[in-house]
Amino acid sequence: MTMNFALKNVNALPTPTWNRLGINDTNLEVGDAVFAPYSSNPLSALPDGVSVSPLPFPKADTETGMGRDAADFVLANRTYGLSLRTEAGIRVAEPVKLEFRLDGENPALADAVDISAEENSEITVVMSYRSDAGFTGFHGGLTRLYAEKGAVIHLVQVQLLGETCTHFDNVGAFAEEGGTIDIIQTEIGGKAAASGVKTRLDGEKSSLIMDTIYFGDGNRSVDMNYVAEHIGRKTKSEIHVTGALLDESEKTFRGTIDFVRGSKRAVGHESEYNLLFSPKVRNRTAPLILCAEDDVEGQHAASTGKIGENTLFYLMSRGLSELEAKKLMIEAQFRPVTDRIPDESLRSAVMETVQGRLSGLESME
Amino acid sequence: MDKKKTAVQDIDRTVYDIKDKVDASYQVEGGLTPKIVSEISDQKDDPVWMREFRQKSLAIYNKIPEPNWGPSLDGLDMSRIITYIRPKTPMRGNWAQVPDDIKNTFERLGIPEAERKSLAGVGAQYDSEIVYHNVREEVKRQGVVYTDMESAIRDPKLAPMVRKHFMKLVPPTDHKFVALHGAVWSGGSFVYVPPHVKVDIPLQSYFRLNAPGAGQFEHTLIILGEGADLHFIEGCSAPKYNVANLHAGCVELYVAKNARLRYSTIENWSKNMYNLNTKRALVEEGGTVEWVSGSFGSHVSYLYPMSILKGENSRMEFTGITFAGKGQNLDTGAKVVHAAPHTYSNINTKSISKDGGVCTYRSSVEILPEAYGCRSNVNCESLMLDDQSRSDTIPVMDIRNDDVDVGHEAKIGRISDDAIFYLMSRGISEADAKAMIVTGFAEPIAKELPVEYAVEMNNLIKLEMEGAIG
Repeated sequence: MTMNFALKNVNALPTPTWNRLGINDTNLEVGDAVFAPYSSNPLSALPDGVSVSPLPFPKADTETGMGRDAADFVLANRTYGLSLRTEAGIRVAEPVKLEFRLDGENPALADAVDISAEENSEITVVMSYRSDAGFTGFHGGLTRLYAEKGAVIHLVQVQLLGETCTHFDNVGAFAEEGGTIDIIQTEIGGKAAASGVKTRLDGEKSSLIMDTIYFGDGNRSVDMNYVAEHIGRKTKSEIHVTGALLDESEKTFRGTIDFVRGSKRAVGHESEYNLLFSPKVRNRTAPLILCAEDDVEGQHAASTGKIGENTLFYLMSRGLSELEAKKLMIEAQFRPVTDRIPDESLRSAVMETVQGRLSGLESME
Repeated sequence: MDKKKTAVQDIDRTVYDIKDKVDASYQVEGGLTPKIVSEISDQKDDPVWMREFRQKSLAIYNKIPEPNWGPSLDGLDMSRIITYIRPKTPMRGNWAQVPDDIKNTFERLGIPEAERKSLAGVGAQYDSEIVYHNVREEVKRQGVVYTDMESAIRDPKLAPMVRKHFMKLVPPTDHKFVALHGAVWSGGSFVYVPPHVKVDIPLQSYFRLNAPGAGQFEHTLIILGEGADLHFIEGCSAPKYNVANLHAGCVELYVAKNARLRYSTIENWSKNMYNLNTKRALVEEGGTVEWVSGSFGSHVSYLYPMSILKGENSRMEFTGITFAGKGQNLDTGAKVVHAAPHTYSNINTKSISKDGGVCTYRSSVEILPEAYGCRSNVNCESLMLDDQSRSDTIPVMDIRNDDVDVGHEAKIGRISDDAIFYLMSRGISEADAKAMIVTGFAEPIAKELPVEYAVEMNNLIKLEMEGAIG
């Protein structure tokens, strides 16, 4: 089936603000995509304790960060689908790997992946998206997570698509009592990339840990919308985003901590650190805290700017060139997140891609 | 075990709530039509350009939709709002000549007393018209002009300056309620401070809306010459009625090179008021605008003073406090546009929500592509006093070059148990400990206010403690 249209008003802020700022939502051009079943098997051998589940996803109405339209789009054009499950009490350390590649055979990918972890089980799923050099492809994903009581789901999504690809990741998660949702997203490639993650911390003491790194160069754009919805008591969210913008790249980050009435003793922290390397970048941020509960603690901190003169001077006084110093700073910023990717080759692929792109900095000197 | 909550009392409004009998010499019918707008022009003997301006603004008002964000405006029925009410008195320069009932109102609010003690000039507006305007002789001698807008428009010396600036910074196309303002504005103050003149003591305008179901649409235009210095204070109040009242004022501030303007507001409208006010400052090279803003009253507020830092090295500071109690939905904050290099902005706000009150902090910091070397800091803290209330924080930053230093911090929470425990371990009662913490929370704002307003604010956040709190 050939599609050619845009997703309108996705990644919407939970509470809108001035329209003039253009940050209330975004549109994503899907372009001219032909959807056909994914032709190879992206799935690694399943580790013991993880099975492909015949059961429907426990919560079909789970809300996602990008919204209903983006979810329906993937479901309507699905080229790959998978439902994973761990049984109660089984904690699986070995990651499940899903490696996707956009190329002549698979120019457009729409993958729908459901992950459910039964009571007190643990699962790690690593999804990666790459494309052939110079290939213009499309990826749209819908990933739904359900953590039962005391269960832990680790989701790692690594996006290393080529610079003419369009990409979105639409994630919805639900956590029961004591459940943990742990997500790492690396948005490194693509011409236009969007990602939305909405987590409903439903059960008491459920938690979200979200670490994101993004990297923009050329005229690429990254658009993110993260929502942590605190429903249960003593729920906890940690959202940390860090990234770098070069050339004429643009980034929009919306991050919302939503304390719903009844989420007593909930704690939500959000931080954002942006390094800017070119006078033509655009960095937009909307960090929201919505609060209908008094007995909570919410905090947000953001910092945006160039690498500090003092830091640069110090590094250069140790014999580093300005470029080397800048590379080191970005690496230092990304390393704590990439170190948590449980796949050696993927870990180095992320850093190599970033280092390769940073050679662009040289032309600026 | 049930936690016993500290009761933080509502603001005592006795002084503000005394209503005068509505004794208008003229008032238009409710609603908004070209005929009503034309009647206002007739009443005010508008020059031709102003007549046309009002009608144009009305046409814009009819075209622009209501905002699709922010608190609900459903309770505001424009077909019932009376846009123009002239009190039965001409403007006076002497309190003795102001009719007793109106004078007594301002006496109760402490305006004439403050004028004698600590102000360089006072303007007092009652419903749609200024009833009193006076400025000290020594200030007048410095060349400072402080008068009502209508007089400024008719004064042949001032008229060209007014026309050049009037609603140029805040055009009627900006949003629906500023278009409304353009159509029906009435009253307000005009201030001009010549270059290099420093006005040592503040000027103050006080706006009082007495009539039920009415709107107040005063226009404040302040122009500072190069290197001038002024502190302007604005106060607003109204008695409580059971019908919706509307305040849609407009403030335009022009701060020339190296000039400094401090604009302080204590807004204490009654809780039937829709406060949809627009304030904007244009700051030239090396100039400074400082906003101090206390929002305590109103049923619904949309208030975000905006600063356009147009000249290199210009600065803005915004200090604000919002206190929302029962039945209040106060959406407040600030906007700044860094349009020139090496500009600086600092936004510092506190909000307190109680008894089902809703506070929203909303802001935008924009740094334009050519505005390199800018610094901006935003810090907003919210305090929730119970779980029936609501407090939202909605800041946006839009940064379009890399040579910037932008920081943002937001915090929300309730009074910390540890802090109370610590104070109690020092022998302070629990009630006093809570009171100390809330007062301490508001203190950074209180210290920015002029003394008489700081006192007023302390009264406003008067605490009454009861029992033990878990």
